[in-house]
Amino acid sequence: MTSHPDVEALAFFAEALLEPDEERSVADHIETCALCATTIDELAGVTRALADAPAPALPQDVAALLDDRVSEAVAARAAEAPSTETTEETTPADAPATVTPIHTRRRRFGLPRLMMVAAASVFVIGGGAAVVGSLMSDGPETGSAAPLSDENAPASAPDTAQSYSTEGVASGTVYTEDGLTEQASDVLNTAEGDGGLSVKSEETSARLPEGAQECVGHVEAATGAHVTLVDDARWEGPEGPDRAWVLFTRDGEGVDVLVVDPSCAHGDDLDSSVLAEGDL
Amino acid sequence: MDGAQELPDKELLSRHAQGDEQAFAVLVRRHRERLWAVAIRMMGEQEEASDALQDAFLSAFRAADRFRGDSQVTTWLHRIVVNACHDRLRRRKVRPATPTEDETLDIISNERLGRTGGAQDHAAQTESRLDVHAALDQLPLDQRMALTLVDMLGYRVDEAAEILDVATGTVKSRCARGRAKLLPSLAHLRNPGTPRDVTSGRGGANPS
Repeated sequence: MTSHPDVEALAFFAEALLEPDEERSVADHIETCALCATTIDELAGVTRALADAPAPALPQDVAALLDDRVSEAVAARAAEAPSTETTEETTPADAPATVTPIHTRRRRFGLPRLMMVAAASVFVIGGGAAVVGSLMSDGPETGSAAPLSDENAPASAPDTAQSYSTEGVASGTVYTEDGLTEQASDVLNTAEGDGGLSVKSEETSARLPEGAQECVGHVEAATGAHVTLVDDARWEGPEGPDRAWVLFTRDGEGVDVLVVDPSCAHGDDLDSSVLAEGDL
Repeated sequence: MDGAQELPDKELLSRHAQGDEQAFAVLVRRHRERLWAVAIRMMGEQEEASDALQDAFLSAFRAADRFRGDSQVTTWLHRIVVNACHDRLRRRKVRPATPTEDETLDIISNERLGRTGGAQDHAAQTESRLDVHAALDQLPLDQRMALTLVDMLGYRVDEAAEILDVATGTVKSRCARGRAKLLPSLAHLRNPGTPRDVTSGRGGANPS
């Protein structure tokens, strides 16, 4: 029996990652199999091809852009500083003011809707900070005024003191990119179908999975929208289904769905936790 | 603070966290070339690398007070850059970004056409970079990150392990799996001396 080891086994062999038994049998095989010996060489060739792939040096304009971003962030932090003592109780841990520039820049990749509302919430908080700042000192120049002149920005003020509670379900759905809207509608319909939020399957519980409440808090702080329902489910990502939370938020016009991964609970970088979104 | 250029990374970071307005910029200038090298190889495309690097530096800017002194600042910065790239690559897989730049469109259309003739003739450098990145796009992100650090950028396995926050054995096995998967698509690059036929459709997505 002289079946060839598969390429992966050969790659593991080359990294000395095989168990002793397997390692010996692959070593014996290579002794007599020119084909597999060649494959081992070719694997080293992959490393060479990767190492040789050219990459441009840091372009001047990118370097300048980085400088600009840092200056903006420094200015935003300075502008925000005086307000932190006085408005602490209404500002969640990561004060959004410094976040504005990235969100606006990211719009192309991300979530225009979410970001538009996020910009609006910054408007309110940033505006408040400016007022406080001018009361407390001689009115520092706030560089953050520019984006606030956008008249299209929704004017609704996010209410940070929410009194409703978010319901939790575990529908068992494996959400997919293509099916998101339909799947979410199903879950929402079932959840709302009999008046309450009782879902067909598994348990219906008002309790949220661990960390989800924090996540809901971050999303609400960023969007100003209310999260009404969290489905503790799975998301079919590129590397297979992974646990995800599907957040249903209501704003004036309808229901938005946001698929987030549980790292969302940390809130460090909410944007990066968002796997997908949709409107119902 | 004129002496800032000479301060060690940790000192700069802690001054920044305490409100110093110059310290972070010094840190950025000191490390941006290296971190750009990471970002451009992870993302394969300048605009996205630039975006990822901006994301990363702004995350670092805000997270400076959470830096724990038990790793090097450079490792910490690498980790933040790698995470920023990871996020963008993941989102690219979920929902491909709409390119806006002509250059990007050009590259994408060339990839889609598989360069099966009629496509523009690109410089050999661009060709080979696109080949490599088209091939890397096939890999699960974990394998791609490990291979980028170890094979493309030449980091030692233990350095990559620290950046990725996994065991060294994990880095090795991710690299091994990745190389095995890349073998068919990068086969044509393994002999740099061999003349390459530009018109033979050898897109990474369709190895023959």
